[in-house]
Amino acid sequence: MKVLFILLFQLLSVNAAASVSEARKIFNNSKDPHKNAHIAQELYKSKYYYSAVVFAKRHLIETSAYNEALENMLEKLILKTGTDNFTTLKGSILGKFPSPSLAFVYGIKLFKAQRYDEAKKRLSLVPLDHKFSPEARLTLGAIANIRNDQKVMASEYKACIEQADKKISDAGDNDKLARYFKILSDTCRIHMARSFYQNGKHEMAMTTYDQIAKTSYRWPYILVERAWTAYQMKDFNRALGLGVTYKSPLLSSYFFPEAEVLSALSYYRLCLYDDALAKVEQFYEVYKPKADELKALILPQKRSHKFFLELALAPIKENEGKSPFIRQLLTQIRKKIIFNVDLVNYKRAINENKYVVKLPNDYFGKTIRGELKRMISFRTKKLNHFVKRLMFNFVNDIHAMSYEMFNIKLEIMSNKRDLVYKNKQLIADRGRGSYDNVSRKVEQQFYEFKGEFWADELGDYSFGLKSNCETVKRQATEITMRGAQ
Amino acid sequence: MKYIVTLICLIFTVKCFAQATDKNVIIKYKEYESFDLGNLEIKGSVLAPGDLSVRERERKVFAAGLYDRPNFIPELEEDIRNLR
Repeated sequence: MKVLFILLFQLLSVNAAASVSEARKIFNNSKDPHKNAHIAQELYKSKYYYSAVVFAKRHLIETSAYNEALENMLEKLILKTGTDNFTTLKGSILGKFPSPSLAFVYGIKLFKAQRYDEAKKRLSLVPLDHKFSPEARLTLGAIANIRNDQKVMASEYKACIEQADKKISDAGDNDKLARYFKILSDTCRIHMARSFYQNGKHEMAMTTYDQIAKTSYRWPYILVERAWTAYQMKDFNRALGLGVTYKSPLLSSYFFPEAEVLSALSYYRLCLYDDALAKVEQFYEVYKPKADELKALILPQKRSHKFFLELALAPIKENEGKSPFIRQLLTQIRKKIIFNVDLVNYKRAINENKYVVKLPNDYFGKTIRGELKRMISFRTKKLNHFVKRLMFNFVNDIHAMSYEMFNIKLEIMSNKRDLVYKNKQLIADRGRGSYDNVSRKVEQQFYEFKGEFWADELGDYSFGLKSNCETVKRQATEITMRGAQ
Repeated sequence: MKYIVTLICLIFTVKCFAQATDKNVIIKYKEYESFDLGNLEIKGSVLAPGDLSVRERERKVFAAGLYDRPNFIPELEEDIRNLR
């Protein structure tokens, strides 16, 4: 058996080497106008994917020839190396072929440039059963969502979920692929929920959010959106309960400044001003200094092309002492799908480079080496930029939310002053919490929270606070006492 | 000439006197003085403050507004940006 494996491996290596030398032969001798496509095919056969991309792009630029073999190769190359390598091509080149794969690349490129009409036109060319169909449907749904076209949006998201679920079953034992399509399927559901939210259908939004399993990679991120939905439904106790889920040890890596603001707002709406002010003060005293520390660490490195990537790839223990938020942010970044996909592509490019440097130093070898070097440099910068952007966004979020917290504080002070002027006070002699104040569905049961976060209970918490917004006349004794002073 | 000399002498003498008297001025204030405001007579017609004479100060209204979330469009765009 062992000998058989070695024999098979050697056979494959010989095959790969044969394809590369075939590619060199075509590169040096062929006068065929489509020779770049042939070179790409040979390199693709020998699994030199990034090198194949170089010649595939040359073919797309120089000719208009297109066939099924080219389409299959383009699809595989995009899957193996990512869409970025082709995104750099001009629109006129991406648009001249009847290729669904290139239509997908072009559509995403146009979406990022916010040219939604053109993006819609391109993405519609991706057939329903195509490999990129779930992503194309998701993007089409997002365009309809931005345009608030309810009918189109619903049908595109429905198709996205169906196609993604089909791809999950097609993936079989390939766990990574199945996980990728599961995330896509969940993303389509989340987008639908967001659309319901935007249109004031908060009940439907909540039901759709509830369809996301607690084991989903997307679940921790939607807690804050669910909390907003509860807030809009004036279920402030539920909004507070969803916010407090982030305090669970299982979710310690997830810190969203917006969730803190929402908790303060919920207390404010319940007229529990002292609780709201405590939240505001906690934000200023705990989170803001930590964010300033993080800013001091990352700001001097803002022009570096490697610092942030090295930070993300280093073992967590090495980074722990650098800044209080670093561990949380890096854990979040490592769980991002795009980061993982790009990281795999980056490692694949570096691995291919190990073989490319061994190629003979002729014009063919030099061409591939130069192009691959540029691609690795681009991938390094892209990953570095991704980490950098998330970190700076986080610091900016803290500052933006700090302003919102200040507004809440100002509003509370204003309300307190009004009460004094009107010679009134809030009715504060009520109990702090009761099951009576919890709005529940038929199938929900409640247990008292005793300082322990149970995994199966996460995301189902609700406070039991009664609104303190009723006002009563200020007690006469208090006025007399103050008058005497 | 005789008159002029006499006049100059006179002027100098007066100046010296003036400087000497400036130094010796001692101003004394009353150590205690009281006013009985109740006994003070106020001339003019007496007007009591009424609803028309007391104007309420306009209350400052904060226009900043509280944070709200009308949609999740930025998150939606971010999701597409993060596709493979």
